[in-house]
Amino acid sequence: MREREDIELTAAEYVLGTLTREERVAVEARRTREPALDAAIAVWERHLSPMLDDVAPVAPPPDLFPAIEAAIAGPAREGGGQDGARVGTRDGTVTDLARMRRRLGRWRAAAVGAAAIAACLAGVLVVREVILPPSRTFVAVFHDGDTQPRFLLSVDLESRELTIRPVTAEPVADKTYQLWIVGEGISPIPRSLGLLEDVSGTTRKRLDQVDPALLRNATFGISLEPPGGSPTGQPTGPALHGTLIPAED
Amino acid sequence: MLASSSDISRLLDRVAGGDRQAFADLYEATAPKLYGIILRILRRRDETDEVVQDVYVKIWQRAGDFDPARASPITWMATIARNRALDEVRRARVATVSDDIALERAADPARSALGDLEAGEDRRRLEICLDALEGERGSLVRLAYLDGLSRQDLADRFGQPVGTIKTWLHRSLKQLRDCLTA
Repeated sequence: MREREDIELTAAEYVLGTLTREERVAVEARRTREPALDAAIAVWERHLSPMLDDVAPVAPPPDLFPAIEAAIAGPAREGGGQDGARVGTRDGTVTDLARMRRRLGRWRAAAVGAAAIAACLAGVLVVREVILPPSRTFVAVFHDGDTQPRFLLSVDLESRELTIRPVTAEPVADKTYQLWIVGEGISPIPRSLGLLEDVSGTTRKRLDQVDPALLRNATFGISLEPPGGSPTGQPTGPALHGTLIPAED
Repeated sequence: MLASSSDISRLLDRVAGGDRQAFADLYEATAPKLYGIILRILRRRDETDEVVQDVYVKIWQRAGDFDPARASPITWMATIARNRALDEVRRARVATVSDDIALERAADPARSALGDLEAGEDRRRLEICLDALEGERGSLVRLAYLDGLSRQDLADRFGQPVGTIKTWLHRSLKQLRDCLTA
């Protein structure tokens, strides 16, 4: 009963729009694997959408539609992700980066921008939930709004080991990347998991004290901080976020 | 000019099949509404242009996902628009509420033909339920939903701690649900 009420309120606040960015990201990840939450969101969308009648229409600038047509031109109808965005693992912990990079190449070639990437990732989420057996390895993709994925993070829930690999991330002069975690039962505000000292290679971390079930639903963040890490104990620089999706066994 | 929700459903269906003319018609019929929804949240035309562009690219790619059993076509499109605008406003800004967004604006008489598609029983009912919320909480809900104000924005506007706003929101949403499903 309590849980149902929580789902209901989460859905309501998600649709109302008052969740923080981190909370929104977490809800969007959860709804792909929690049909009850997804259904509650749909109900609230129906409840509240009549309010939109109050919004006055505004004519878009005349050059906007040509820009949209240009964006959808070409071989870019790639919404489904059916052809296998295999952000997978081979040996259980090592993420198959070569495939990821090939896919990145195709994304670039398609050149439809962030919307397509987001749609592909959304497709991956949905497709994976349906066809894949339960996995103990999960991956999170970090991408920065309108750019390609920067980092990949994989988590082995059994060993609670995190592996972070850069995809397109580059070292930034006089800055360091810092990894954060936030999530129900773990920490309501971002908790530092340490620095990613070497952006050209793989970083491994172990989270011995975190319950795997909580870890599964956590949101991870990577922020750009002064050397030595955030002076405040909270992210201070621009941050990327990722939530976990099941990886291939 | 399009007249009905089913016309838009049919257009979406053709868009799902890759029909560019249908996409152009869909844009013409719906863009002023979506532009209005997004502009109201972002309050900046340059950002709105970008977000509207992303939203229509997404609609083009995902038209096949539209499920008429789940939402009306306008609600489906408006949801994509709102979500994208909210992602943008939550990402980029720290509480930039200025006094020029007046509470009164919540009652905007201008309606599009498209807007009226959704009018009717559902809308009257929601109005009644919003007006039944105590004090200013109807405005609280409208400002959150229509103007995209965060809890912090609302706290600043109503001169209350964020925790209080959260409690108000939760109570208001429960009351709304009970009223709407009564």
